[in-house]
Amino acid sequence: MDFIKNFVNVLSVASISFVLLSAIFGFILYFNLFDGKLKSKSGYAFLGFGIVLILAGLFARPLLYLGIAYLLIMFVLANLGGRLWDKKVGLWLLIFGAAGFGLSMLDPNFNLIAAKPDNVPIAAMIFLLGFFTWLALRKAYLNDKQIEAGGIPWEKTESDEKLFTWPDLVYTELLCMILLTIVMIVWSIGLRAPLEEAANPTSSPNPAKAPWYFLGLQEMLVYFDPWLAGVVLPTLIIVGLMAIPYIDTNPRGNGYYSFRERKWEIGIFLYGFLVLWSFLIITGTFLRGPNWNFYGPYEYWDPNKLEPLVNINLSELVWVKLMAMPLPKLWFIREAPGLILVLLYVALPPLLAAGPFRRFYLKMGAPRYYVGAMLFLIMMSLPIKMVLRWLFNLKYIVNIQEIFFNI
Amino acid sequence: MKPQEPIPHNYPMSRLNAIFAISALVLLAVTGGIVFYDYVRGWKWFQMEFMRIQQERIEQELREKNDAETRAKLAALDKEMKERQVQIARHRSDLVAAQKDLDREEGRHYAADQDYRFAKALLDAKRYELESAIVKKSSSRKQKQREFDELSQRVENLNLRLQQVTRERDAARERVDVWLGRIKEVEDRRKELTAEIDLLNRQLFSVSRNRDFFILNAPMLDFVNPTMRVEQVVLNDLFIDMNYMSVPRVDRCQTCHRAIDRPGFESKAEAQRLIEDLRFKLDKNQFTKDKRAEAEERVAELERLLARPEILNPFRTHPKLDTFVGSASPHPMLDYGCTVCHRGQDRATEFSRAGHTPASGRMERRWKKTWFPFFPLPKDYTSRNYGWAANPFLETPMYPRQHYEAGCLKCHSNQVAVNGSDEITRATAMVELYGCHSCHKINNWRFSDLQKVGPTLDGIAEKTTPEWAFRWIANPHAFRSTTRMPAFFYGRNMVGPGVPAEERAQNIRFQDAEIHSIVAYLFSNSSNRQWQGGTGGDATRGKEIVERVGCLACHVDTETVTVDGKTRKALRTDFPLERNFGFNLVGTGTKTHAGWIYNWVKNPKNYDPHAPMPDLRLTDQEASDVTAYLVSLQKPGFMSQPIRPANPAAVRGLAKGYLINTMSTRDAEAKLDSMNLDEQLVYLGQRSIEKYGCYSCHDIKGFESLKPIGTELTIEGSKNPHLFDFGFVHDYEAWDHKHEHIIHTVPSWIYNKVREPRIYDDARTKPYNDKLKMPNFHLTPEEARLITSVVIGLTKERVNDSKLASMDARERLMEEGRKLVSQRNCRGCHVVDGYGRAIAPLIADTNFLPPDLSPQGRRTQSPWLFHFLKDPTVMKIRPWMNVRMPTFHFTDEETNRLVEYFAAAGQSPLFDMTRFNDPPARNVAIGREVYTMLRCAQCHLTTPVDPANPPMPNVADTTSLAPNLSLGRVRLRHDWIADWIRRPDEMIPGTRMPTNFPRSAETGEFTSPLGGAAIDGPGFAASKARLLPLFQNEEELRKTMSDAVALTNYLRDYIWSIGITNMREARPEADAPVMTVPQPPRTPPPTPLQTGEGAPSVSAPAMR
Repeated sequence: MDFIKNFVNVLSVASISFVLLSAIFGFILYFNLFDGKLKSKSGYAFLGFGIVLILAGLFARPLLYLGIAYLLIMFVLANLGGRLWDKKVGLWLLIFGAAGFGLSMLDPNFNLIAAKPDNVPIAAMIFLLGFFTWLALRKAYLNDKQIEAGGIPWEKTESDEKLFTWPDLVYTELLCMILLTIVMIVWSIGLRAPLEEAANPTSSPNPAKAPWYFLGLQEMLVYFDPWLAGVVLPTLIIVGLMAIPYIDTNPRGNGYYSFRERKWEIGIFLYGFLVLWSFLIITGTFLRGPNWNFYGPYEYWDPNKLEPLVNINLSELVWVKLMAMPLPKLWFIREAPGLILVLLYVALPPLLAAGPFRRFYLKMGAPRYYVGAMLFLIMMSLPIKMVLRWLFNLKYIVNIQEIFFNI
Repeated sequence: MKPQEPIPHNYPMSRLNAIFAISALVLLAVTGGIVFYDYVRGWKWFQMEFMRIQQERIEQELREKNDAETRAKLAALDKEMKERQVQIARHRSDLVAAQKDLDREEGRHYAADQDYRFAKALLDAKRYELESAIVKKSSSRKQKQREFDELSQRVENLNLRLQQVTRERDAARERVDVWLGRIKEVEDRRKELTAEIDLLNRQLFSVSRNRDFFILNAPMLDFVNPTMRVEQVVLNDLFIDMNYMSVPRVDRCQTCHRAIDRPGFESKAEAQRLIEDLRFKLDKNQFTKDKRAEAEERVAELERLLARPEILNPFRTHPKLDTFVGSASPHPMLDYGCTVCHRGQDRATEFSRAGHTPASGRMERRWKKTWFPFFPLPKDYTSRNYGWAANPFLETPMYPRQHYEAGCLKCHSNQVAVNGSDEITRATAMVELYGCHSCHKINNWRFSDLQKVGPTLDGIAEKTTPEWAFRWIANPHAFRSTTRMPAFFYGRNMVGPGVPAEERAQNIRFQDAEIHSIVAYLFSNSSNRQWQGGTGGDATRGKEIVERVGCLACHVDTETVTVDGKTRKALRTDFPLERNFGFNLVGTGTKTHAGWIYNWVKNPKNYDPHAPMPDLRLTDQEASDVTAYLVSLQKPGFMSQPIRPANPAAVRGLAKGYLINTMSTRDAEAKLDSMNLDEQLVYLGQRSIEKYGCYSCHDIKGFESLKPIGTELTIEGSKNPHLFDFGFVHDYEAWDHKHEHIIHTVPSWIYNKVREPRIYDDARTKPYNDKLKMPNFHLTPEEARLITSVVIGLTKERVNDSKLASMDARERLMEEGRKLVSQRNCRGCHVVDGYGRAIAPLIADTNFLPPDLSPQGRRTQSPWLFHFLKDPTVMKIRPWMNVRMPTFHFTDEETNRLVEYFAAAGQSPLFDMTRFNDPPARNVAIGREVYTMLRCAQCHLTTPVDPANPPMPNVADTTSLAPNLSLGRVRLRHDWIADWIRRPDEMIPGTRMPTNFPRSAETGEFTSPLGGAAIDGPGFAASKARLLPLFQNEEELRKTMSDAVALTNYLRDYIWSIGITNMREARPEADAPVMTVPQPPRTPPPTPLQTGEGAPSVSAPAMR
């Protein structure tokens, strides 16, 4: 039992779980594209990644765990193939998830966090999120198969039918209202309002947590300068969400579920929403304890736990570590490597437009392509920065204290 | 038109209907659930439970009242009633006629009365019309005047008629009453008999669950006028600090603690205490007549309580209602509430939310259990399973049971003693005595401006040897089990069972090196005067002197005690706090030498001008004898304990650790190379003294300006629990392998910290110098508990000045004096403010006890007290006394502070001029006669003597020892003497002075032994003859003789007349004998100390 708990604790460390989640996410989308049949070359690529992880795991225990978990999940998924979207398999997944959660509730440390009235909705959110994602992908999968076989989407066949407002719409709405009211009442009786102590400016709680919907932002503060994580990125998230209808003009998939007809749009959105945003919220809720340190789900939130603060800037990495010389006095020389990298990153869209993404460029037109690409790049800067932090303890790529500008 | 095809439904209607039906029912049920959840509250359960208890109690009383005798009486009355009714029935026609007559008269009376009242109303209206007509000079005013006069006349007539009718009606009524009165008389008798039962029945109705109860408290109806309701006290001048604003307290504790201000629900122990207290007062006739009956009834009630099953909380009465909660107490509930002392969440009405704190792990486990998770209700009254959960967000959880008195400090920390018998008084005295405030700054009046608790170390080389000092510092408790010096070295985090063997060996080397270095520093910085003398004494005589003159009021001279037939090592708690003031005399001979002891006991100020030890004015011979005795007090084996030599590598390593804080490693190495081992030791010693804070308690040269090293404790009780680092400690394993579960609350953290200061280092890997260094005082659990109470009582919560204790100028004066009393340990010998006199158990004969100073301010005149305190040799009041009042060498300022304190505490003016009053000759003459009649001369002498050197009375006749009354006039206050003669036992319980004027059991007034016929007795014939001329007649003589107050006043005047009026004043400070030969500081002795190689190590100090 302790071994399993320890295994899960290690796996849930942000760097490990993020890699695992990204890989599984990619894999699921991948075989959704190809009807659950692995092409041999890609199959070997996925297998090869697992073997690399295992080998690396010989030197670092967490990577070994990651490799094992990765291969296990891949094995299951590859065997399931398209059956992943069967109702029965979905039910089993739900049962497994609920059983795992229920068993975990027996652990006092897990119970303490998960059963906290503040966190109950987020625990429920994990299941709801999983269910609805599964449902959407299942419908898309079925439609895609139907279209491939020369049929029409299921929604199309349905939309020709007519129904009465009463009882088919209003009655069911009424029932939903009643049932939801029941749930709310039982919830509010069963769990007390999570009130805390009187506000005190001289004593902040530890850990000091934002409301759950902001925990993704708070988690981003770990990796980014406050003005980026707190001001620029949230603004861009809102702006980007508003811009989606103007960037995504693909008429296909309108009114019906389909993955293959909109694989990039859905892939990017789901990655941003599930792997980045929701993952950060879940991490921030369940896995960040006192001093914003990372704690596994079965770990005791010991306020004495210390994590070393050994992050370095890119300038230090380049000048001091690689070139063995002191930092240049002038900031634009000192930060030159970082600035060049950032410029290169920003220059990617035109470069790609000329090369591999020419197809998109032509299809979308210049304004849409550039706005979309910039938003995508900024979104991807988060996982990139996270991976850089885990791999190199990188603090800032560009760190100009002189004008308080950090990236 | 084509007929429309039937459109199919998405879902079958029947299924939707079924779902709708079910979900609607469920919704109804959960809505009912809302009402139920809102209705069922823990406090209601407690109120019902309390009603049940009351009901049972009343029913029992009813059964007792409604006994066979009462029933028989009632039956007899009923029978009589029946007989009378039969009689009346026989004369029924008469009664009916009379009744009819009365009815008619009543009707007439009603009409007449109405006529009269209406006419009066008309008259009043007419009066206004008349007045306004006069003011307006209206033409109709004459007309109005006439009408008014007519109406007045009419009212007068109607009044007469009403009186007439009333008389006639009364007559008619009397005629009826002749008949009915016969029955009514029986009825009245019956009512009288059942009055108590009726009262109980009414009470029973109000506490039983009857129809009214269920209707008034029904869900949804209970907003109208429920009998079960939240009770609260609103305290507009006691605030809770909510950080941004202050909110008045609203204490709702009474909602469940129903009987908290109601006597009759005491615990058995409290009831027992109250009974004893009341019985004592009853025996002493200290009640007036009506109060006496009340007190007797209360005793009876409390005794009934003892026979019933024990009442448990929350239904107990608050203990000491005369001090707390009671409306006549200093802390009435309506003014102080509950949470201002107990803390907790004032507005909460639920067990956990109110902030109840368990006293122990066991209690915590019991509280946590529950029978119904949603509603924290206990299953039954005694199981105490409350579904409790800690509320981590409550900043002021209640003090747990064992620390209740911590709450006193919030308002009383500007007092030395809240009340002599209170725990908190002992606890603060303990903190003061053990010197917690020396290392931990406590910024409040009680713990400021106190002297250092340890002796000066500036002259340590004169007193003892490095070899002793090493062994002492290494393990002080091995030398004296009761010492207040804590153990700094070889603690739990250094050599404890959890420390790995390798680290343990290293730690021992470091610790050895530090002790060596501290000894080296102290001895190299010590002055080195040579003390001589003290030879040729006799130890046996010395022991007798030590036991006789009062040394044992402050010192203990044994290290073993026998408790329950078992002999064991003594603990500090085996002796009163006052006797721990000085060091335990055991081992003095091992520690120091005759010359030093001799000069120290002769006058401690010679060695240390700030020594707390007073001068007992021993003669040279006495001092020599005491010296011989103290030298004979050896601690065998202590000096033969091996001392490991200082490990040069360890010394160098530690010294380097300090040096590299300020210089580079190479410079540090170079500097160390330039020093030899001794110099390194002295350097390291300085650093180690700094590290351990030795200077906080001891004066040490070179550390005069350093701040105390400990955490400031000023608001320790307000710190949030998460600021207390429990480390990895959940279970506590003492050195004797005793296991305990440690709950994570602030009181528990502090308790375990003071009991085992290094415990939170368990399982931690820290660099040597970062390890916890608070020393181990080897506190008993009781001591640790008291000290914890003080620490958690130090909070940042503030109350209005109006509610603080001791805020006026007179009380501040008293408190300054009390602090000095505490600092000089006056309570070692004296009772002050009603408590103290630690020496009492050592003195068998009460004649030889030092006096009780509780009434001192009322008793003595300020000038006399001043001189006596400065120099106790100015007067020997009781020349037979063995215990000597020492010379404290008080400064004038200190002496005045004490004099002011005593005067203020006695509610007496600082000065009075009565000393110069000469009483009238008649009063003196009467007084002299009364003095003779009361045979005062049996004990008291009246011959003038030299106050400083009175003749010794016959000590063998212990019943006749009393002060010479001729010393009264210069010493005693004029108005005090008479009062004292009347009630000596009330002022000083157990005094030898007999109570000649006992209080009357009837009235509580003083009675005279010469009153009534006593004066006619044959023994008083001569006195009576002498007295008669002094009175106008015999009646006046008799009256005076039975007047206790007058007699005592005459006695006082007599005593005043024989008093001497002059006495010697305090001499200026007599210079101490010159025996000090200052010499240049001695070079430190060669360290490391002499030991054999590979000698067995100093074992880890044996724990208690």
